[in-house]
Formats: sequence, C-alpha cells, structure tokens
Amino acid sequence: MNLLEYMARDVFDAYDIPSTSGFVASTVDELKNLAPGLTYPMVIKAQVQTGGRGKAGGVKFPENPDEFVEMGKSILGMSIKGLKVEKVFCYPKVDIDREMYLSFTLDRKTKLPVMIFSPEGGVEINEIAEKNPEKLVKQLIPAGSALDDFYIRYAVDKTGLEAQYVDEFATICKKLYDAFIKHDCMLAEINPLIVDPDGHLLALDSKVDIDDNALYRHPETLPFKDEMTSDEWVREARSFDFLFIPIKDEGNIAVISNGSGMIMSTIDLISKNGMDVTCALDLGGGATAERIQEALRIVASRENVDTIFINIFGGITRCDEIARGIEGALAKLSDVRLMVRLEGTNKDVGLEHLRSFGGNIRIVDGLDEGVAALAEEVKA
Amino acid sequence: MSFLIDKDTRLIVQGITGREGRFHAEQMLAYDTKVVAGVTPGKGGSEVLGVPVYNTVLEAKEKQQANATVLFVPPKFLYGAAYEAIMSGMPLVITIAEGTPVHDMLKLHHLAKEKGVTLIGPNSFGVISPGKAKAGFMAHHIFNPGNVGIMSRSATNCYETVFLMKKAGFGQSTVVGVGGDMIPGSTFVDLLPRFQADEQTEIIIMIGEIGGSEEELAAAYIKEKVTKPVVALIAGKNAPKGTSMGHAGAIVSPDGEGSAESKESALTAAGVHVAESTQDIVRILKKLA
Repeated sequence: MNLLEYMARDVFDAYDIPSTSGFVASTVDELKNLAPGLTYPMVIKAQVQTGGRGKAGGVKFPENPDEFVEMGKSILGMSIKGLKVEKVFCYPKVDIDREMYLSFTLDRKTKLPVMIFSPEGGVEINEIAEKNPEKLVKQLIPAGSALDDFYIRYAVDKTGLEAQYVDEFATICKKLYDAFIKHDCMLAEINPLIVDPDGHLLALDSKVDIDDNALYRHPETLPFKDEMTSDEWVREARSFDFLFIPIKDEGNIAVISNGSGMIMSTIDLISKNGMDVTCALDLGGGATAERIQEALRIVASRENVDTIFINIFGGITRCDEIARGIEGALAKLSDVRLMVRLEGTNKDVGLEHLRSFGGNIRIVDGLDEGVAALAEEVKA
Repeated sequence: MSFLIDKDTRLIVQGITGREGRFHAEQMLAYDTKVVAGVTPGKGGSEVLGVPVYNTVLEAKEKQQANATVLFVPPKFLYGAAYEAIMSGMPLVITIAEGTPVHDMLKLHHLAKEKGVTLIGPNSFGVISPGKAKAGFMAHHIFNPGNVGIMSRSATNCYETVFLMKKAGFGQSTVVGVGGDMIPGSTFVDLLPRFQADEQTEIIIMIGEIGGSEEELAAAYIKEKVTKPVVALIAGKNAPKGTSMGHAGAIVSPDGEGSAESKESALTAAGVHVAESTQDIVRILKKLA
C-alpha cells in the first residue's frame, strides 16, 4: 500500500526522521479555523495517489491567512488525474539551499535491500541517474543486518558529500533504514532531502509503500486501505475477497477466472486475437455459488462490459458451484452475454446444470476454443 | 529418477493438525507419499491419520529420520515454521501459504542459501514427482509420470499445461511450484541445474510471468549451461503497468522493468522455445518429442 504523503509523514515521525511539522485538513472550515495561527508563507499539497501534483495545480504557497483559505478551498475542490482531492497536507514553507535524494527499496534481482543516495538532484533524480551517474550510489545491504556505518561512509565518499552534512546524513540514513525494515516497506523514500538555510537536513517529502501482506503488523494503516482505493469495483470485490483488476478503458469483455496465472493467460490469448479485455476478476480458490453470483453482479455492473468470459479450471473450485452461481445471477444479467468454460472438479454435473436453464450462455470446451468462440461472437 | 522428492522421501507436515494440513496430509498419503510425522507446537504426542505428531521439527527428524518438510501454516506463521525447519537441518523445505510478508521471505531466501537448504515456494502448490510422491496441494490425478520437467510461478497455468499434456500423452518427471511471490525460496536459476542433471527429465518447461527478472536470469543460465530443450511461457503480456495481477510478484514497474517483452526476447536469444499459450506449449512438445 502506497501511503499518501501525510500518512507516510506519520511513519517518518514514528522513527524521528527530521521533517517540517505539518497537519492534514479535509474541510474549508478546518482551514478557516487554523489560518490565523500559522506562520507564512505556507505550503498546501493535495493528497492524492499520483505524481505531477504541482503541475496540475495541487501544490500552492499562500502568503497570508486569506490566501491560505482561498487556495486550500480550490485544491480541496479539484480532481487530479481523475482522483478527487479529499485532503490537503499543510506545513510552513522552508527555504531550500539544496536538494538531495535518499531511499531504501528492494532489489528483486539480488533479493536484498538497496540504498540509493544522491547528494544532488532531489526531485530531478532520474536526470542525475542519466547525466551524472557518478553522483548516484546504489548499495546493497545484506539480509537481516543493520545499516553498518561503513555503508554510509562508502556512500559519502563515493558521492563526495561535504563533511558538514555527514553526521546528520548518517543519522537520517539509519532512521530511514530502520523504518524500511520495521515497517515492512517496499519503498521508503525522502525526495527531496533538503538542506535548510541553517545547514540542517530535513525530509521535505515522504514516500512510504508498505507490503500489503504485512499490513497486519501495522494495524494503524489498515483503515486507510479502502481510502487508498479509488476504484469502487475494486473496493466492492475486495469486500467479498475477490480481486478486481481494471485493465483498460477500451473493450467490452470481462474475464472471470480462478487464479492469477489463468487470468493473465486468458487476457493474453484474447488480446492476441485482436479483442480488448476491459477488466478481470479473480475468484481465488473454492468460491461457492453465492459468492460467484456476487462476482458476476459486480463485473456486469461495470459500465462498458457486455460480454463475460468465465474460464474455470477447478481444483478446489467446483464446477457445479459455478453453474449454480451463474443460475442465481442470471436474472440480473439480461443485457450481458456469457461465455463459459468449465474444467476440473465436478465438470459434468456443472455442465449438465448449465444446460438445464436458458439465458444468453454459450458453453465452450477449452481455453483456445473459448477464445475462438469469443472472437466469433464479438465480431458478429 | 526424480529429484527433490521420490518414493524414499520421509516427509514431515508442519501444521498437520490444522484443517488444510490434515486434509492434504490425507491426500499425500493416498498418493503413497511417506508422510512420517506431523509437527504442531503444543500438540506433540498426539496422532493424526495414524501419523505421530511432535512439538518440534528436531524431534520429528530424530525419531522418524525425516528428510523433507512441507508447511501447511498460515502466512503469519510461515517465517517461524520455515526458520525452525531450516535451522533443524531439513535439506528440503516446501512452503505453500499465499500472503507471506516480503521481508520475511527476504530473510528466509538468504538463510536457506547460507545453510545449503532447498527452500521452495511460498504461494506455491508444492512439488510432485508423478507416480512417486507429492508434497503440496496439487490435484494429483491430472499428473502422469513422464520425461518433462516443469517449474512454474503460477498454479493454474501449470494445471492447464499438465491437463493438456495428459490429453496429448505427455507426462512429467518432477513438477515444482516456484510460486507467485516477489521473493521465492528457489528461483528458476536455482532449479535449472537440478532439471539439467536429472536423468528422467528430457525437456524442461518454464512457466513464468511478468514482474522481476528471474526469466532473464534463467535465459542467461540456459545459454551457458543447459543442453536440454527448454519451452517457456510468459503470462501477463497485456497487464497494465504498475498493477499487481494477483500474484504479489506479477507486477511490471512503472518504468517497464519486468515486462513480458524483455523476458521473451532474452529467452528467444538463449534458444528457448517461447510458447504463446498453454496449448502452444503442447504443440511445441509434440515437435520436440
């Protein structure tokens, strides 16, 4: 779960990483109440899960209380890349003498934590990586070990970080690594890490991505999970323990299957035959008729879906349950056609039941045949 | 001759007293696998399906000469159970659970390497040597003994392939569920030398998917060291960037790392037969046979 900036700031605070002290607000009334007591100029930032907030007008710098309320109001009312701004994060503006970059993430190739540091660049880190690679250090950290001092010294020497910043830098490095490990992060990033006019290092932005599988260890983040999901189909599917995956805006075909690999290869085969899959739903293993009925309802309610390809290779999932689920959902699926492939546990019972009631259903044998039939129907 | 597990494997089921552990222990016994012990802390001294249960892996190993363990434990407890198995000197540790924290697997992956232990999974159906033994939850009736070795990140794509292989008259030597997580215990590159050395295996199937760089690393290894024909499938060509496709590991990063194109071109350059679908795998097998 990629945390919003203000939530990530809470994580930074828990590890005592120096940053500007800020607050979050979600209504204009809150902004009005707070405005008189603030130190100006301030920074107001839209809290949405996307890059390019500044360019979209989601970051503003009010000089006085009136501007603070007015600018905050405009940001709270806006949408950025389709995401409605529900909250703003505010803090006193800091003059920046210099921007650096520091992060810890996972290197999938070596399966180790990696520290990435550049004493220059900050938000322009990608440019630095391309034009001045000698200013960027990527250092792997052995599994299960602390961030020993020599890794930090190595990064300092390699990038030529000036001596006056080394002590504060070392402290921040250790704290951020501590947060990365103890908070089960996929990424913990300070971008930019700034030098303020007094020569101190401060985290101006905070980015924390926590492993979804480890959220149970950080229960304070659990309430944010739904808040962080903008697609209501994803949210609703999740409430039934399904995974809903929006694929693309084009197309009218949806895929329902029981397993991540099968979902991917079904989409691949349909796409290869020149058709577009707009969304998919993974039932996981062992879905009952009642839950399958819900899955069909959720997928069919997506605006542009007119065809649903149900591809089941049943192990724990029983084909007769699938057939009964389809029967139960049929009344609500009048304007959707179904293509059904059943294989595995109780296939014959399932197929027999499927043939016993009407509806706009075409039964196919095998994935290849299913996709060929789909092409026939869609292109007809 | 199969590798990892066979008729002589003496298997522990960690979590045998749980619902899943008991059900699948019964299935493994029905497949004539030598399940010699169960381990559940606090349940030592009892019996499940006639199999003695111990409190620790150490005791199970000592009393039953066990040489492999399969873990039917929830993801929250996987780290502790796998750590115990590795530190108790089990040479083969097979993990199943979906949803294990990635930092737990990071530690286990490196610990297993350091101790010379083969760690398989998690987010995996386990390992099967058809006709000999199984350690996991796969629907064993679709598997047949044969000369094709399979390693797969996906259970469903593996089942589909095995099912189509059965129709076409092909069987398997050893089938390994590498698993769908971001950090598996054993990678394709870790397993390739075993398939290459195994006498029963004549053809290797590798079912990969988007995310990470294991397929690229496998391609480099195959080019140098593998003389047996390799057939590969990469699932997820049409997945949107930055979206996890269900498996925690199946995600193309926003900058394009982990894409199907990169994997397929590396594999093709290494002389691997890249299949377009599960059905296509079988078409290629027919040509190679």
